[in-house]
Amino acid sequence: MKSNYLMFHDEKKCIGCQACTVGCANVNDVPRGFGRVQVQIKPEKDRYQFYRVSCQHCEKSPCVNVCPTGASYVDTDGVVRVNNAKCISCAYCQSACPYHVRYMEPDTRCPDKCDFCAESRLAKGELPVCVSVCPTDALSFVKADSEEAAEWLSKHPEAYRESKGNAGAASVYRRKEIH
Amino acid sequence: MKITRRRFMQSAAAACAASALPLGAVAFQDGIKVEGVTPETNTTCEMCSYRCPVRVHDLGSGKIFIEGNKNAGHQKTRICARGSSGYSLLNDPNRIVKPMKRKGERGAGEWEVISWEQAYTEIAEKMNALKSKHGAETIAFSAKSGSLYSQFKHFAQSFGSPNIFSHSSMCPGGRYVTADIMLGGDMVWDLKNTKYLIVFGHNLYEGVEVGDTYKTAAMQNGGGKIVSFDPRLSVVSSKADEYFFIKPGTDIVVALAMCNELIKNDLYDKEFVVEYSIGFSEFARSIENITPEFAEMYSGVKAEVIRRITREFAAAAPAAVVSPGHRTTYSFEEFDTRRALFALNALVGNFERKGGLYSKRSPEAYNKLVGTKAAPELKKIKVEYPKPAARLDALDGERFKYSIKRGGIYQRIIETALSDKPYPVKGWVMSRTNPMQTLADYPKMVEAMKAMELIVSCDVYMTDSAAFADYFLPEATYLERYEQIENRSGQSPAYSLRQPAVKTIGDAKSSALIWYELGLKLGLEEFYPWGGSMEKYIEMQTADAPELLKELKEKGFVSYGTSFLLREPSMIAKAVEKYPTAAANLGEDGTFANHMKFKTKSGKIEFYSEEIEQLWPGYGVPRFRNIKIAGSDELLFIQAKAAVHTNAATAFVPSLSDLMPSNPVWINTETAKTHGIKNGDEIVLENATGSEKGVALVTDNIRPDTVFTYMSGFGVKNGYKQTAAAASGVMCSNLLPHAVNDVTGMAVHTSAVKIFRA
Repeated sequence: MKSNYLMFHDEKKCIGCQACTVGCANVNDVPRGFGRVQVQIKPEKDRYQFYRVSCQHCEKSPCVNVCPTGASYVDTDGVVRVNNAKCISCAYCQSACPYHVRYMEPDTRCPDKCDFCAESRLAKGELPVCVSVCPTDALSFVKADSEEAAEWLSKHPEAYRESKGNAGAASVYRRKEIH
Repeated sequence: MKITRRRFMQSAAAACAASALPLGAVAFQDGIKVEGVTPETNTTCEMCSYRCPVRVHDLGSGKIFIEGNKNAGHQKTRICARGSSGYSLLNDPNRIVKPMKRKGERGAGEWEVISWEQAYTEIAEKMNALKSKHGAETIAFSAKSGSLYSQFKHFAQSFGSPNIFSHSSMCPGGRYVTADIMLGGDMVWDLKNTKYLIVFGHNLYEGVEVGDTYKTAAMQNGGGKIVSFDPRLSVVSSKADEYFFIKPGTDIVVALAMCNELIKNDLYDKEFVVEYSIGFSEFARSIENITPEFAEMYSGVKAEVIRRITREFAAAAPAAVVSPGHRTTYSFEEFDTRRALFALNALVGNFERKGGLYSKRSPEAYNKLVGTKAAPELKKIKVEYPKPAARLDALDGERFKYSIKRGGIYQRIIETALSDKPYPVKGWVMSRTNPMQTLADYPKMVEAMKAMELIVSCDVYMTDSAAFADYFLPEATYLERYEQIENRSGQSPAYSLRQPAVKTIGDAKSSALIWYELGLKLGLEEFYPWGGSMEKYIEMQTADAPELLKELKEKGFVSYGTSFLLREPSMIAKAVEKYPTAAANLGEDGTFANHMKFKTKSGKIEFYSEEIEQLWPGYGVPRFRNIKIAGSDELLFIQAKAAVHTNAATAFVPSLSDLMPSNPVWINTETAKTHGIKNGDEIVLENATGSEKGVALVTDNIRPDTVFTYMSGFGVKNGYKQTAAAASGVMCSNLLPHAVNDVTGMAVHTSAVKIFRA
């Protein structure tokens, strides 16, 4: 299912400061040693690339397809979520994810990952925490059918989405920094 | 949020299970639940020294969330990783929350938990005994900067000691001292409106200051250009339009060559220079031989690049700025390096123009200019202090007077402790400062501390320096306390408040309260008309403006009026429209240029300083001296800030340690090859000061003659190695020489090391 939301990560604006990582861990109770989001600073030829690693909320969601109990599911907004009550800790979803963004929560023994802060923030009408705290406004989060989304995409024709394995289109757009 | 329960560790046997754990009884935080004061508190961060406005949300069940404070328009909800990590500090079971007294040898890490009453009584007795034997000056007081510094300074002054030190001489002091001498006070940049920004090592993308970091990104996004000079590929270099791997310590020669190019090719703002400066011709003469080719020889930056960038900079002026730097001291030429950077700005006349440098304006000065009380004014609380003896760092007569005004020569405590010159200094009271990590010459610092008869440390963690104390006084974090109202004005007036977001945990107390209560035992009550209560203090500050206090408690950050620069006609027109009374103060040219004041001896920008020439012969005018830092078999050793750590203060914070648990040593690929070092190898860095083990990070992103690491409190030696970051990595101060830089009095943070595989 196509997500109702899009996230834009502007790698040109991102400085890899990890404010997103800490804010997310705090708000979403991510245990130490794990993360729902991280920006990797990858050395390229003579610059760094600032590469966001998090759930892509991809259209074909292999994690949902392999889940034997329906614990991995897509909510009505197209956000890929986990329902711990149905989870049997088989970790199939973890293996199926081509982006390797699921971790096993050591206490619940259920997989956890970015849910665009569906529970912790969206439900209260707030933006995902990573978007809200970013010191350089490198992230935006919009409704897929909104004017802002169209404007961002037309302003940044070089933006791209990753598509790994059989995951289909991602909900996260990236704008690579080009010098 | 779960809080790990952790009992006091009662015996050495229990601690043996992990060598990282301390011996003896330690007053760790014990299963205490965080309780918010209000659902939302607008206050001020203290995860570093910038004091960004933050909003703390109480999410219930002992959980808080910190983001930027929306009421501060320059920042909104933006925050950095350190600011966001306040929750991790607050909840950290390894925070120390009870007073402790040393058992056994200094630095051995054996403690007993005592009551506040016992701590105060014993410390007061010892302080008074030292005072009656040697005079109050025998006790040195040092603290990190910030609003608590004022309360600490007040305590020291009430006690009668002149020996009060901030962290200035190991961080921003070089810039401040230089600005005071050359411009009569520091100037800051109008970053938002800059079109062309040149940085020599100043890296707002790693030394994050949220408001300015945002403005830098926004400036770039709006088409502004950045040119970065840094010996390694910093994040700001990576983001810059152009970067150059300049040789450490040679920023000065490039900056002076640029000055020379501006002058020789008539690219400078003559009118501005004539009207507002003195000593221009001496300066021009002093640097006339510093050509771009000459600069290339030393710095490795191509002459044609220096020529082109100088021209681009001049063409973009006045909306072009050279950063005067922040945490600096790249070489022994600190004074002339900073002067050269300020000179570049002065030459293009960017002062008080959009995108250039400007002086922060106090609310009082703002009100005067606009001819009306646009912003409330704080009442100054004045106290008469006993007349102190001469400072321990004043032994050079007037030579370091500018440095002393800016917080003193911190590292002189070491020499004094070891030599009793100019007089015996036998006691040291420290508040949230960790000189063993952040200053230089760790081994000598150990000796100096051992020579003391009394050391008192107030901190939240057992740092390297705190571990050498006789008494540890646990401070409440910034989330648990009131502080005085701070003036935060830039181009327009603003104030901020730090106030408790959660109830105080354990027996910790705000340091303001600790010094007051200790002051009572010392008989200093008369110096505290506010009775030690910071709440009362802020009421006194706002006696003439009670509505300001009300608003600050609600909003945390309050700003007034409209921003303007003294020489920017379009901005002034808007200000006059808003405040018609301002028109009376306009000069003939219709601007406030007539109000631009330089509080130097001459009242002008001093390219040449008569006073400094007399105090420091040869330093009257900036010049280039070729100072060699590294020998032929050595590498230059440099450090910088990391985005996720604050110098020596956050290695203990769990969430930040997790993000960056060590500081690998960057070595150029070719250099590594010649030394037989592979990526990930354990290596030794060594020089006359000390020897450190680190892990090699082999990369092309650094000059072959330089090694680099982040200076962020890694490699703890005496303190508690309770996190990965504290337990591993390189302690930079063990590789930095003891030095007192000419004129500025700074410690020097570029050194030379030999490296080999461990």
